[in-house]
Amino acid sequence: MTAPPVARPLMIGRGMLVAAGVAAGAWGAWLLYDATPWDRWPNLLVWLAGGVLLHDAVLAPVVLVLGWSAARVVPWFRSPVVVGAVLLGALTLVAVPVLGGWGRRPDNPTLLDRDYTAGWFMMAGGILVGVLVAAAVVRSRMTEIGAPERAPAEDGDDGERPGRR
Amino acid sequence: MRAPAETDFTSRLRSPAVAARIGVWLGVCFALAFVTGVISHYAQLPHPIVPLPTSPSWGYRLTQGLHVASGTAAIPLLLVKLWCVYPKLFAALPRSLRTGLLTALERGSIAVLVSASIFQLATGLANSAQWYPWEFPFRSSHYALAWIAIGALAVHIAVKLPVIREALGAPLESTELDRPEASVPGAVSRRTVLRTTWVSAGAAVLLTAGATVPWLRRVSLFAVRTGEGPQGVPVNRSARAAAIDPAATGEAYRLVVRHGDRSRELSLADLKALPQRTEDLPIACVEGWSAGATWTGVRVRDLLDLVEAPSDTEVLVRSLQRRGGYAQSVLPGSYADHDDTLLALELNGETLDSDHGYPARLIAPNRPGVLQTKWVNELEVLP
Repeated sequence: MTAPPVARPLMIGRGMLVAAGVAAGAWGAWLLYDATPWDRWPNLLVWLAGGVLLHDAVLAPVVLVLGWSAARVVPWFRSPVVVGAVLLGALTLVAVPVLGGWGRRPDNPTLLDRDYTAGWFMMAGGILVGVLVAAAVVRSRMTEIGAPERAPAEDGDDGERPGRR
Repeated sequence: MRAPAETDFTSRLRSPAVAARIGVWLGVCFALAFVTGVISHYAQLPHPIVPLPTSPSWGYRLTQGLHVASGTAAIPLLLVKLWCVYPKLFAALPRSLRTGLLTALERGSIAVLVSASIFQLATGLANSAQWYPWEFPFRSSHYALAWIAIGALAVHIAVKLPVIREALGAPLESTELDRPEASVPGAVSRRTVLRTTWVSAGAAVLLTAGATVPWLRRVSLFAVRTGEGPQGVPVNRSARAAAIDPAATGEAYRLVVRHGDRSRELSLADLKALPQRTEDLPIACVEGWSAGATWTGVRVRDLLDLVEAPSDTEVLVRSLQRRGGYAQSVLPGSYADHDDTLLALELNGETLDSDHGYPARLIAPNRPGVLQTKWVNELEVLP
């Protein structure tokens, strides 16, 4: 994984990009320092660190375990399931604020004025139909070429399991 | 069970070939969100050195719609990007002090980038649904972190440029840049990972953009607004939330127009007796929703002429609002003089609803919704 030899103009361009990035970041840090009342810093820091921790220590391991389980549980139609799960997971995360509806106010019925739970079920239903159709296509292709239905992979196949060895 | 190591991650999908391709679009989304965000921030400065242009009237509707859409699209992109590079989190630290220092700096910049990126997308998404589960000021924090995120992104691109160039120059299936142990085929192909990511990002936009793109309303299951509301226009802050005293908007209502020691008081009947103009202007909110509407009322310039205000002077617009921010706004001279800028009395052919600012509200082209002051009771020409 060694980088290829880099031309001199490119090196200068990279140096300038680093300098511009550091300057922009420093400006942002000053803006943040300037605008945040001292008693709000603990909460701000919780949010800044919390997002990374939630991803690295919760979401990513959960996805890892799901992928590892899928490699063992789901048989021949694993690829449509993986695609459907990625869509469902990412779009559900995007919908969290409207699904929770925490921004609703009794005095303003024009805000968050949909049935988002029904919307989520419609979306999930659409994804499920897509997965089933894709699975049917995979199956018909397999019977066409006469491939035997493959058992779940014993190991590998994305079935990463950190901590084994 | 021991802590995981980089070598435990064996999927060949976690490859720089995939990460670089998603990174390009993530970078495009971040750049778009940054530029449109800076425009929005600038548009809300009370006394900008050079005010934004007054045309096109839908300019802010477009930029703020793009701001929220690009941020929304970035959520699936960031998730898959982080999935691709997750093994790097467990990479062994170098032993020598010199490379150790460089590595620490690089990994530190990545930590800043990831933290700022997640913060921006999470707070922006929550804000679009008017959900504020934090104690810090949203606008200034979101703005400051935007500079930090874009700065850390520039550093990241500069550091990774050789790898990015090589990855993008090689076929998607190339294993040239992969870690040696990342050789196990995944459940899907790299092509499918990319397609799934693009579809997720596109679907995230389609499912939410109906709040600002009328023809998407039917498919936008997660749009924060259907576009319905009194007189066909949604409301951001109701009269109740703004603590408007009903007595102040009734018979006792007077609009005061002030210019130095000259001033005029006008009742609602006086305002209706002045020449009425009708303009089609969008109302576009910082939260990303917008709606087109037809407004009828008195030209602000006509009102300023009553007190012989010179052209191209800033006007302070005050509201009867007693609670919440944005109880007043400054109208730059170019906006105050614009033919389309109205003190509106009617919306879509009806007398303004109390939640839309009855008896009178400001409506000007190409201006953030929070500055389209409602329940206006005073126009003061600033010296």
